[in-house]
Amino acid sequence: MKFEIKMAWRFLKSGKTQTFLILLGIIIGVAVQTFLGSLIGGLQKDLVNQTVGNSPHITILGEDQTPRPVLVTDHDITRIITYSGTEEGIKRWREKIENLDRNQDLTAVSPVIEGSGFAIRGSNNQSVILRGVELDRADRIYNIKNRIVEGKKDISGNSILIGVELAEELELVPGDSLQIRSAGEVTDRFVVSGIFDLKSGELNKSWIFMSQQRAGTFLGIENKISSIELQVKEVFEADKIASNLNDEIDGIKAENWQKNNQQLLTALQSQSSSSIVIQVFVIIAVTLGIASVLAVSVVQKSRQIGILKAMGATNRSVALVFLLQGAILGVIGSILGSLSGIGLSQLFVSLIRTADGDPLFPVQIEPLFIMLSIFIATMAGMIAALIPARNSAKLSPIEVIRSA
Amino acid sequence: MPNELIEIKNIIKVYGQEIKNEVLHGFSLAIKEGEFVSIIGPSGSGKSTLLNILGTLDTATSGQITINGEDISDFDEDKLASFRNKNIGFVFQFHHLLPEFSAVENVMMPSWIEKGTAVDDFKERAYELLDLVGLKGFEEKLITKLSGGQKQRVAVARALMNKPAILMADEPTGNLDSETTMKVYNLLRNINEELNTTFVIVTHDRHLAAKSDRVIEMIDGNIDRDIYKGKKGENEEWQELAPVYCRELQGVNVD
Repeated sequence: MKFEIKMAWRFLKSGKTQTFLILLGIIIGVAVQTFLGSLIGGLQKDLVNQTVGNSPHITILGEDQTPRPVLVTDHDITRIITYSGTEEGIKRWREKIENLDRNQDLTAVSPVIEGSGFAIRGSNNQSVILRGVELDRADRIYNIKNRIVEGKKDISGNSILIGVELAEELELVPGDSLQIRSAGEVTDRFVVSGIFDLKSGELNKSWIFMSQQRAGTFLGIENKISSIELQVKEVFEADKIASNLNDEIDGIKAENWQKNNQQLLTALQSQSSSSIVIQVFVIIAVTLGIASVLAVSVVQKSRQIGILKAMGATNRSVALVFLLQGAILGVIGSILGSLSGIGLSQLFVSLIRTADGDPLFPVQIEPLFIMLSIFIATMAGMIAALIPARNSAKLSPIEVIRSA
Repeated sequence: MPNELIEIKNIIKVYGQEIKNEVLHGFSLAIKEGEFVSIIGPSGSGKSTLLNILGTLDTATSGQITINGEDISDFDEDKLASFRNKNIGFVFQFHHLLPEFSAVENVMMPSWIEKGTAVDDFKERAYELLDLVGLKGFEEKLITKLSGGQKQRVAVARALMNKPAILMADEPTGNLDSETTMKVYNLLRNINEELNTTFVIVTHDRHLAAKSDRVIEMIDGNIDRDIYKGKKGENEEWQELAPVYCRELQGVNVD
């Protein structure tokens, strides 16, 4: 063992109460940091997930084709619904899908044929959005399969899936048939095979899933699709990925979720900043704590320092003893602190629950974040030890020995 | 003829920046290898200052110091520290052991400092030294568990750890009762004879000083007398130094 490490360790061990108190201080500081970081990280991830977890992060449309409000009139009902126009659409889309499937940044690629229409049952009718999808692909975004509350997940042939609110409105159960009229005045009968709940009133009321081929023929769209919906690995990278796609693929326009969620992003950002501010102050408090304890320790150990120097220990070596004390306090304190912080977060998750018994929101424990706080605390320990170490280096052995 | 182990020339020591206080007035001195030298004198005479300068713990304001063939006058702090570590052992009035460590660890300390690693490689020698100073069986005891005399003997063992050419002691028995004083003194004398280690001891105990080979008496920052022991107790000056002790030696009843 290095001589200096042995000295540092023994000095810390000999001042048990002092070492214990400062360790406790670091542990609490780092635990608060870890807990707060995990909590805010989890909260943010949860918020983002709720916002875009089950919706496309990027939507690829044909050039010059933007989702726009369209006035739909049927009998005495007039509604404005938003859908992507089908006039332009994306051509040679199979090739584009193949390309996108190879893109490592993407986790879901779902081509969609989309159009508006009316679901009619007796005298009751509802304006709806018809979405022709490949179920497996759409599933990766909307998780439809697990959200079927009634019936089965089947969109082959004439089978369609409708939302719970639409089903309630039109009093439909799986197996019922439903008449739908497209904006192009084509009317056809479909069979409701299942009812989904996408946890969004708007979607549950208006969306109807059917197979892509069926949607194509029903809406009169051939050899093209309305849009490609994508999900990405790194949600916050969506804007960058979208702009890359714009550059790479001709004749399309990729739009990212951030564009439509500026408020959420601003909120997340200010949350992050306030969390950083708190953490910085925690680090400062911890650093000051270590510094003051070590400063006292240099005074307490000045006799020992003098003796070591009389025996030939260099100034550098003695200073290192105090730097190492700071580092040891930092490392041990921050490891124990991180563990306490993780424990605290787990406790929070298990104690604070919603009425359903689910965690209020998942706490996010980031190994990288924890490593970083351990590193920072260790650095803080060493920085805190700098001044005491310098003072110890300045001590003259003579003064110490004379004053016995 | 033994070599001059320590040689100082025109040594001057001034304390203080604004109010200057000259405590050593520029004298020269040479000490031979294997000599057992005592420095005596009233307090404030500069004897401790001289010892600290000889031991490289303090630096002279001017003058030249050669120890063991090396002119250390211009050494910087680090060079002095390493020189001290290899060449000089110290025993102080207050044992100055590290209370956080055991006896054997304290003895090994100079070697740890020299090598930069705290390993047990030196344990065998440390055990031998503790045996030499009569502390067999106390090796692993914490310093705080030892008596005053035992602590001082640990300090002696520590001073010998790096096989120094010179052992410096400042009132090594100042804190001990007369019986223990004699034991520690005899120990130092034995080491001097067996290992040919040069001893420089500051003491105010004239009887103890009288047992040295040479006594340097300092008064007001100068060497007042520098006397060598001639034949036992025959030297007049020596008798004057410690009349009681000399008479004892001559078999005269003190009472």
